[in-house]
Amino acid sequence: MKALDLKLARDLWRMRGQVLAIALVLAAASATYVLSAGVYLSLTATRDAYYARNYFADVFAEMTRAPRSVIARVARIPGVQRVEGGIVQYATLDFPGRIEPVRALINSVDEGGRTHLNAITLGKGRMPRAGEAGEVVVDTFFAAANDLGIGSTVAAQIHGREQTLKIVGTGLAPNSIYALPPGDLVPDERRFGIFWMGREALEAATDRREAINALSLTLERGASQAEVIRKVDLILAPYGGTGAYGREDQISHAFLDSELKQLDAMTRVIPPIFLLVSTFLVYVVLGRMVSTERAQIGLLKAFGYSDRAIGWHYLKFAFAIALVAIVLGSLAGIWMGRGMTSLYAQYYRFPFLEYHLSPGVFLTAGALAVGSSSLGALAGVRSAMALAPAVAMSPPAPPVYHAGPVERIGRRAGFTAIGHMIVRHIARWPGRSAITVLGVALSMGLLFATLQFIDASRAMLDQFFARSQHQDLTVTFTEARNRDVIHALAQLPGVLRVEPTRAIPVQMRLGNRSERTALESVDPESRLTARIDINGQEIALPPAGLMLSRRLADQLAANVGDVIRIEQLGGRRTQLAEPVVRIAEEIVGARAYANPATLEKLARDASPVGAALLRIDPAAREAILRSLKSMPVVLGVTERDAALARFNALIDENLLTMIGFYIAFASAIAIGVVYNSARILFSERAHELATLRVLGYQQREVGIILLGEVALLVLLSLPLGCVIGYGMAQLMTAMFSSDLFRLPYAATWASYALAAIVVIIAALGTALAVAWRVTRLDMVRVLKARE
Amino acid sequence: MARAGDPRERSGSTPAFRSVALEKVYRTGETTVHALRGVDISIARGEMLVLLGPSGSGKSTLLNILGALDRPTSGQLFYGETELTALNDHDLTRFRRAEVGFIFQFYNLIPSLTAEENVRLVTDIAERPMDAAEALDMVGLAERRDHYPAQLSGGEQQRVAVARAIAKRPGVLLCDEPTGALDSATGVRVLQTLKHVHDELGATVLVITHNVGIAAMAHRVLHFRDGRIARIEQNEQPVDPAEISW
Repeated sequence: MKALDLKLARDLWRMRGQVLAIALVLAAASATYVLSAGVYLSLTATRDAYYARNYFADVFAEMTRAPRSVIARVARIPGVQRVEGGIVQYATLDFPGRIEPVRALINSVDEGGRTHLNAITLGKGRMPRAGEAGEVVVDTFFAAANDLGIGSTVAAQIHGREQTLKIVGTGLAPNSIYALPPGDLVPDERRFGIFWMGREALEAATDRREAINALSLTLERGASQAEVIRKVDLILAPYGGTGAYGREDQISHAFLDSELKQLDAMTRVIPPIFLLVSTFLVYVVLGRMVSTERAQIGLLKAFGYSDRAIGWHYLKFAFAIALVAIVLGSLAGIWMGRGMTSLYAQYYRFPFLEYHLSPGVFLTAGALAVGSSSLGALAGVRSAMALAPAVAMSPPAPPVYHAGPVERIGRRAGFTAIGHMIVRHIARWPGRSAITVLGVALSMGLLFATLQFIDASRAMLDQFFARSQHQDLTVTFTEARNRDVIHALAQLPGVLRVEPTRAIPVQMRLGNRSERTALESVDPESRLTARIDINGQEIALPPAGLMLSRRLADQLAANVGDVIRIEQLGGRRTQLAEPVVRIAEEIVGARAYANPATLEKLARDASPVGAALLRIDPAAREAILRSLKSMPVVLGVTERDAALARFNALIDENLLTMIGFYIAFASAIAIGVVYNSARILFSERAHELATLRVLGYQQREVGIILLGEVALLVLLSLPLGCVIGYGMAQLMTAMFSSDLFRLPYAATWASYALAAIVVIIAALGTALAVAWRVTRLDMVRVLKARE
Repeated sequence: MARAGDPRERSGSTPAFRSVALEKVYRTGETTVHALRGVDISIARGEMLVLLGPSGSGKSTLLNILGALDRPTSGQLFYGETELTALNDHDLTRFRRAEVGFIFQFYNLIPSLTAEENVRLVTDIAERPMDAAEALDMVGLAERRDHYPAQLSGGEQQRVAVARAIAKRPGVLLCDEPTGALDSATGVRVLQTLKHVHDELGATVLVITHNVGIAAMAHRVLHFRDGRIARIEQNEQPVDPAEISW
């Protein structure tokens, strides 16, 4: 090993604390990058492979009922590659001893194995056979959650008829990776399953012989999806088509996509913060190193080392930090990535989902680490290269202090000499002090932004469930019913109030934009529902006209006063033009509302009921659920409290893990910044501190100089941290919002406080550890040396 | 414990310092250095001593031990009635705070503090300090009180260090090469200041130097060699620093 490299190795070892502190911050950058980019790539790669292997369709359409012959007609549309039609039917399942409703979505499959699109990956067993009426394949997650195996039977009510289903296989399909029970936001594999049944058997069970109610198709390369959808809609219109849609509106795909967007946002927001801080730290530490090694640099140059060799020597120091960071960060990233992937595997029904180690991710993480570390080293390296040997070997000019404005305040406030020392030192190194303040502030900001996430999720939950839904049960029907059903439900003992709801699938057009959505009826008399906006305010309902959620208004580029053309999908395709009278800042979904009269005008029928909201006496819950289970018209029952509990569990499980990580990450920044700043402070001040000890200051009193400066800087960083945190939280809220939901900004004071406390503890703990060195200060040796 | 160096303890009969068989051994890695090999000395109150000797002869080690910056490996050291060798770190610091003024070759001023504030470092914590301005006046720097060290000459900086050392009214003033970094004229000015302070405060003053000429101002001169006091020279007629030159 060359002598200069030996020096490098020993410098690294001598400064191991500082090297490690910076490396930890940089490692956090690598780790978060490897985590989010790695999981993102794993999810996309898995999804894409799954989609390709199982022929996930490009376009989907549902209709009331169409003859199988439409399949051939759709197949003739230019650009369509392959079309398959089948039956999709909700069923209620009866598990003995369980009163809570369980539902299944049954898809038909060709018994002859001719189903290609959205094909099943069989886990166990076999596909249903022709002629065997009740054979089904059930999704693996549902089977596991309900202890069902091959040969198990389930009592089901399909299309109003009791039938016993026999499980012959378990499997999964790409169109239900994220399987949501209708009207819910969280998957629930215990209460909702995806089933597959032989086509003939399902046709028989639903009275749809040689008929279909759903079709899906793939497109040829380069085909226009919009054009195909337009033509499919024309063909299906007479059969009650509710409008064909692409993958972006397919619920499972859309949820997965929104998750991927969030991961992508995380990749773009989080690692840069760590990279920025570590660049600053390398800048400060290497700058200080070069200035303390002036004489050595001069000597080396006098010996004949070139400027370039000296520059390279210090650059290697930065590389070494990056190398440590890459190794630590990658290992941590892989570990967290595996954890996060297995978390995803609980909610996304993939046949296989593994954290995939992609070389590209590690190369990028490495390049980012080396890049930011080198960038930080640049100034130090350049000043080392620029030093002339003669200049370098003479000691640097002593730092010049001036009485600044702070000073005058200090004098008036009657600062002690120690107080002056602290304040003047901060003012003497404004750049370095600013970096410390900024670094600690970023650490607090990051933590705050993450904590705000919990607040936002809870606020969303509170607004979506607690404040906007006052019903205990939501009862959905197999098809729209007339108002009699409301009276029937009201007769059940223990039912306190029943309110009908209705939603009509529509196409909304404004200018050349169009969106498929549901027009929901809102009854101003309703006591069981309320519309709460993103700021937690109750939205007053307009007496007439349309109210659009912000998301839908943006999609249509609609403003208040614009007249929207509405076409009913399915049924009679009636049309209506209504003005937008209000845009509501809603949290969930792209939604549209109108009063019941407008819906009646559009549907041209007397208010049928799509679903009913029930407020019940808790004591009668079991009896009511039992009665509902036995009503053939009832498709499903959603319990608000159960949904709320599941959502809360989801938040607790996912977010608390995340918060744990981010407390660690934020602390890493605070520790890295404060440790380096305190160590530099200590080395710069060793002489002064020793002098004070000689003058008779106790260790504790001398330690205060170190701690005082750090404490002052941390104190300055807290308000800045609040500002940065606020900005970051806003940014993350915006980036994490998707077509499916928007996150409110709902920070609580507790989050500011917790972020500040964690940062203060990390910072002062670190400073205290450094200040402990005062006890080992060798007064004699320090004073013998010239400063 | 008895308060270290209470002025009431000062009396003609008790010496300021009394040491018994002081030994100091430094061990760094495998090498062992005997810095002091049994020093027995008694120093009277108000005495002015000069310590002479080659590098490594033990004079700085003795000074540091007398000033409670370092501890002997063995032996006993008394300051008045107080046994310094029996005190813990905290009490040694209190002893320094109350009794000892240090002056070093390289001034050791705090660059971020003005001349007056450097003196206030001491007056802030001492029990019966003089006013910082008064201390600066004693060294003839009253008008430069608001200057930072970087704005003062070497001699001026050393006089600030002297002012800082005397502001607490120390019982003992320990000076390690106080003129080492100064030219002759400036050095003499500093020595005059030391003498003036000695006469005014009646402090015991120990000065380490390489400069034999300076020895002329001392009551006694201790010659060091190999960690021992090789010779003690009595000076019946100490001269005024103004008469010294080098």
